[in-house]
Amino acid sequence: MSMRHDPELDDILQDGELKHVAELLRAGRMSEDPPLDDAFRSALRRQLMNRAWGMGGTTTVPWWRKAFGPAGLAWAGAAVGVVLIAAAVVFTALTSPSTGGLTKDVLVSSPMNDQSAVRLQQPILVNFNQPMDHPSTEGAVQITPATTVAFSWSANTLSVQPTSGNLAPNTQYQVTIGPGAKTASGEKLAAPKTITFVTSPPAPSPSPTPTPIPSPTPRTQFADQHQILSVTAGASNFQWSPDSSFLFFVSAGGGLVSVPAAGGTVTTLVQDGVTSAAISPAGDAIAYIRSGKIEILNLVAGTTVEISPTPAPTRVGWTKDGVVWTAADGVYAQGTDGPIKLTALPTTGAINVISFSPDGAHLAYTQDQSLYMFDIASGKGVTLGIAGAQLLGWSPDGTGVMYSTATGVVVSDVGGKTAATLPAGEPTWSSQDEILLGSDTDIWEVRPDGTGLTKLAEGTYHLPAWAPNGVAFIFIRGGMVFGASAPAPAQRPSALDTAAAVVNSFMQARKSSDGVKASAYLNDHGRKAYSSSGGGLNLVLTGDPSFSRYYLLTQSITGSQPDTAQFVVRIVLSHDKLDVSTYEETLTLVRTQGSQQFLIDHATAGPLLTLGKGAEVVSVEVSPGTVKITFDSDLKPESVAAGVIILDSKGKQVGGNPVYANRTVTITGLDLKPHATYKLVVLSTVQDVGGTNIAAEYDLTFAGPADAHGGSNQRGEQSPSPSPRASPSARPSSSPPTS
Amino acid sequence: MSDPARDDERDLVERAKRDPRQFGALYDRHFQQIYRFVYSRVREQTAAEDVTSEIFMKALKAMPRYQDTGRPFAAWLYQIAVNAIADRYRTLRPSSPLEDFHDLSIAGPPLEEEAAHRDEIRRIWVLVEALPAQQKTALVLKFQEDMKIEDIALAMGKTAGAVKLLIHRGVSRLRDEAGTLRPAE
Repeated sequence: MSMRHDPELDDILQDGELKHVAELLRAGRMSEDPPLDDAFRSALRRQLMNRAWGMGGTTTVPWWRKAFGPAGLAWAGAAVGVVLIAAAVVFTALTSPSTGGLTKDVLVSSPMNDQSAVRLQQPILVNFNQPMDHPSTEGAVQITPATTVAFSWSANTLSVQPTSGNLAPNTQYQVTIGPGAKTASGEKLAAPKTITFVTSPPAPSPSPTPTPIPSPTPRTQFADQHQILSVTAGASNFQWSPDSSFLFFVSAGGGLVSVPAAGGTVTTLVQDGVTSAAISPAGDAIAYIRSGKIEILNLVAGTTVEISPTPAPTRVGWTKDGVVWTAADGVYAQGTDGPIKLTALPTTGAINVISFSPDGAHLAYTQDQSLYMFDIASGKGVTLGIAGAQLLGWSPDGTGVMYSTATGVVVSDVGGKTAATLPAGEPTWSSQDEILLGSDTDIWEVRPDGTGLTKLAEGTYHLPAWAPNGVAFIFIRGGMVFGASAPAPAQRPSALDTAAAVVNSFMQARKSSDGVKASAYLNDHGRKAYSSSGGGLNLVLTGDPSFSRYYLLTQSITGSQPDTAQFVVRIVLSHDKLDVSTYEETLTLVRTQGSQQFLIDHATAGPLLTLGKGAEVVSVEVSPGTVKITFDSDLKPESVAAGVIILDSKGKQVGGNPVYANRTVTITGLDLKPHATYKLVVLSTVQDVGGTNIAAEYDLTFAGPADAHGGSNQRGEQSPSPSPRASPSARPSSSPPTS
Repeated sequence: MSDPARDDERDLVERAKRDPRQFGALYDRHFQQIYRFVYSRVREQTAAEDVTSEIFMKALKAMPRYQDTGRPFAAWLYQIAVNAIADRYRTLRPSSPLEDFHDLSIAGPPLEEEAAHRDEIRRIWVLVEALPAQQKTALVLKFQEDMKIEDIALAMGKTAGAVKLLIHRGVSRLRDEAGTLRPAE
């Protein structure tokens, strides 16, 4: 007998007899697996996870015996139990045992075959091209996942109806008519026929009815509309003080004028010659250009500081650090020893600077009919729109910009990426992310993403300008400046719906292997998560098995300012049309004001799981008092009671006993707190009706849902189905596929 | 040179150190191995479950303090296991015979010769049980668990030299006690 040589022992055991003893020891290695109760293994894991969750408490050793008792044998028995109607069965094609004479080939078809969004409320229809023997045909039906069904016939069509009512959501069904099926004349099927289809997501549960917001009836004036002052044509540069109490503007004659927003005494601050003016972010100073110089008027002290830069200034603005201006050759700021050139402006062709962004980080200029957005820090510009585009305004935070095109108002970020196109008008963007669109005939309110367009009033509303408080605004009509308050904006689509739309677009692009398009939904962090040098996730999945479908398992708003949402997406991989494996990605999305778009900021992937080994969780729905977990298979009800558990952040089990009906486990008696963390655990002791245990313990971490009764501090957060934030826990498995 | 499996393990360990909830992956990876080892020492299912449970609970609790010394994570688990088993048998003595579990089917030699060889193996493992605890542990970790000397040293809290000495003494003692063992062919 030859034994493996262990060089480590060479210098320990040099004597022949000692070596022989060593060989005997090695030959006597325990060769068989010791007796092991799988219930113990999974119960210990659960206990560890509970402990890890709370990292507290003590356990006396035989805890699992109390919980699981003499369970070992029961599992063992079930594992080899008879699979009734449900199992993944591989048939070998039979040759037709035709006993002579002409037999008509049996053709099997289904309108559902290869469909990808089959609705849940319908039976599975199987059509035969000739009369069939009912008992043998029904006996030959095999369904994966494990499903208890009832049969009915209509002529040559067999209806297979799940006894639990509906089909399971997000599930690939494989319905096989085995070779045991016979025609009415006794001929057997030549070969098994499998019908494959995928069901749609679950219908959202009824949402709390949003308070109906009465559609504002267009009016001719606002309730608190008031006249502020009369102005002559040509007045420009209307600006609010940061506290929304004063207005400043440059009169037609070049004077710098202030007036209380409520109306009242008009004060002329500078008599004439003012060409560009900007109020400081703190509101304590106004900088303006006059006679080729910059003057900074301190509104508190009434003093003026003068800067006389060369070349002459053309436009003035502010950053949080102080005044900035443009001149023919570049952008400048005032340093302690005089002007500092921040960056050069393009020198090819004449450029006309229009304005600085509110944060002083960008400026807009035109050159040869084209509008450019110039990033002062990088010294680079991008074109906005096509030739003839005109700057119409900025978002208050300086990350968004509005400009005109032939058809309307384009909202984009300062990088030039379009967020929406609005109807034509004179726009102003509020701190509350509402845009007013004024015109000769009416005024509209709309969100920067183009949704919620509402006509507020009819009449002339020129050059509307929001006050920094996001409530008041001014407009010009017939040579008068008016002030008014805008009504509360219409309810916006929930942040969750908006984020879900981005996730869907992102996943669709990946499914189409369009990496470029998918990347557009990632911010810098997100791109890192999908880079080989960063998180290593695969944006585009290649190879076999291939990316066949995805669905959103859970979704939740996890923060505001900025809006943050988290999704767990199941990615399903298939080979030869059949789903073979799946993994989950947890995506975190963040919304920025400039683009108004949710972008994926963070992504992680869970392990790759093999499908077809026991029941799978296909939907999780969370409300404050109830959690519903839907499986793809019918379950053995007795395996559910101890197998589906919700734990709080201390690892303590919460909620009443699970109730099982129609493939769904419902746990009630919960009092889930908003944003507190909970964990759903589905133990591997849960069995489908065929007696197969689920392949591995399934854990899902989720946050308590936002309070549906107004606990949410966020406008429009109501979700049609408040769902958990989730992160799949590590499970034994290989890694997700690499491309 | 970087070993991908080792890097993978290091990654799991680092994650579990930061967040104990990640310990599940390490449990999944090492449960079978540790349970098997424990069973081989206690040879009674209930006792093996008790001790295995204790080992992983201790490991989870100590996870934040775990220091990667470049040795496999399993060596640390064996260290906890060795101590847990020793603790248990300060008061209890194993009673079950172990013949059934060191019973190899070895193909090749004629039936009679094979039977004799199997008998030898049984006898030698019975003798192992009678060895002083430390020698026994060192032999089990080397021959049963197939561990490297360095890892046994870590598991037993000894130097590599001390482990070699234990193995040498243990094997020598087995040779002396077996007496009639045949030399290797």
